[in-house]
Amino acid sequence: MERNAPGGTGPVYVPLGHIVANEKWRGSQLAQEMQGKVRLIFEEGLASADFYLSSKSCILYITEADLVAGHGYRKRLARFRNSAHLQGIIIVEKTHLSEQYFPAVQKFTVLDLGMVLLPVASQSEASCLITQLVLEQTREPSKNPFLRKKHSMLSEFSLVQTVQQIPGVGKVKAPLLLQKFPSIQQLSNASIQELEEVVGRAVAQQIHTFFTQPKRQQPGT
Amino acid sequence: TAPRHPQEGNRACILVDSREITTGLEVISSLRAVHGLQVEICPLNGCDYIVSNRMVVERKSQSEMLSNTAKKKFIEQIQRLQSMFQRICVIVEKDREKAGDISKMFRRTKCYDSLLTALVGAGIRILFSSGQEETADLLKELSLVEQRKNVGIHIPTVLSTRQCEALPFYLSIPNISYITALNMCHQFSSVKKMANSSPEEISTCAKVTHQKAEEIHKYIHYLFDVQMLP
Repeated sequence: MERNAPGGTGPVYVPLGHIVANEKWRGSQLAQEMQGKVRLIFEEGLASADFYLSSKSCILYITEADLVAGHGYRKRLARFRNSAHLQGIIIVEKTHLSEQYFPAVQKFTVLDLGMVLLPVASQSEASCLITQLVLEQTREPSKNPFLRKKHSMLSEFSLVQTVQQIPGVGKVKAPLLLQKFPSIQQLSNASIQELEEVVGRAVAQQIHTFFTQPKRQQPGT
Repeated sequence: TAPRHPQEGNRACILVDSREITTGLEVISSLRAVHGLQVEICPLNGCDYIVSNRMVVERKSQSEMLSNTAKKKFIEQIQRLQSMFQRICVIVEKDREKAGDISKMFRRTKCYDSLLTALVGAGIRILFSSGQEETADLLKELSLVEQRKNVGIHIPTVLSTRQCEALPFYLSIPNISYITALNMCHQFSSVKKMANSSPEEISTCAKVTHQKAEEIHKYIHYLFDVQMLP
């Protein structure tokens, strides 16, 4: 088992499916509840974070007491944000006692610092959440429903729908127009005479006007 | 400080889906009460709030996030938003407590945790709100952050008839958001001009990423083949 150099300067090495925890969590309820599900490695002298999920992402834990004590935690978060090239996930104990401080913490971490913030009610909720975070880290990115490649649908159908939005054009005329002018760009450049070969004079005029008539200049733009 | 009255079109603007009138009335009225925000109710077709040219906000009640039954629908909804917007934020809002209802205790579920971690893994922002008023406050903050990054919404509220006609046409382009279609209405002097624009021009006028502009450009130039119609 490779050990991380103390001092917490270099990147922290985390074996897959493990979690590197700060020594101060040894014996805590949080560590005990996680131990059954993920393998914990305790390290001395980790720079600023409480848990490392990988060499790229870590967790900073803010307790109920930290919140009630005031703004000390802010310095820690800002320092972390400025020093580390890591994704920081902030887990905060949001209880009846600390609830009132939560909105301010959220504004600071998410909106000002742009970090991830997840509230938990207790250490045992935190242990479930951290376990889930480890699982998320270790699974294939393609298993995440929000990271999947999307398949584009057939364009023919949506083209017909787009052309139907032109005033005077309905379900029947739209495919006919597209057969003669096979792209939106070509249709937009069609002359009234060319359009008349497909639709009547009145509709040809309507289509041409729709594409070419510039909006009236508004004052002040 | 004296209240400033920025010129029409220079104020931060938030677009709100018309469905929110029934489900989030308090959010809307709080947004309006927050000074200096222009709130426009539009048929956004399932996007709850659009706070900038690139960001959509989905408002979700906590109880919906907890249950496995709604999970599939939620995932599909977020995927749909991903096809239209560069940035997504989910606001998880606490359900309103009814008097005497003790059964509705918040019990954290594995489903809830796995949704949260999947969102985090995909870089989707999550904010937690205790109710509709706080949700409004968060929306305001989000729109201010986006404004500072120069992607705020600045459009005249009134569309000319000509622009009104062009809006549904632009909206029918696949994976285009309401704000992108609105920007097109305002920035292109005619639909013909838009159809003959380069990807660079589309990117500038519609205020979208280069990749999105390429996608739109490709659609405009896509050759129709009647054989391919379903």
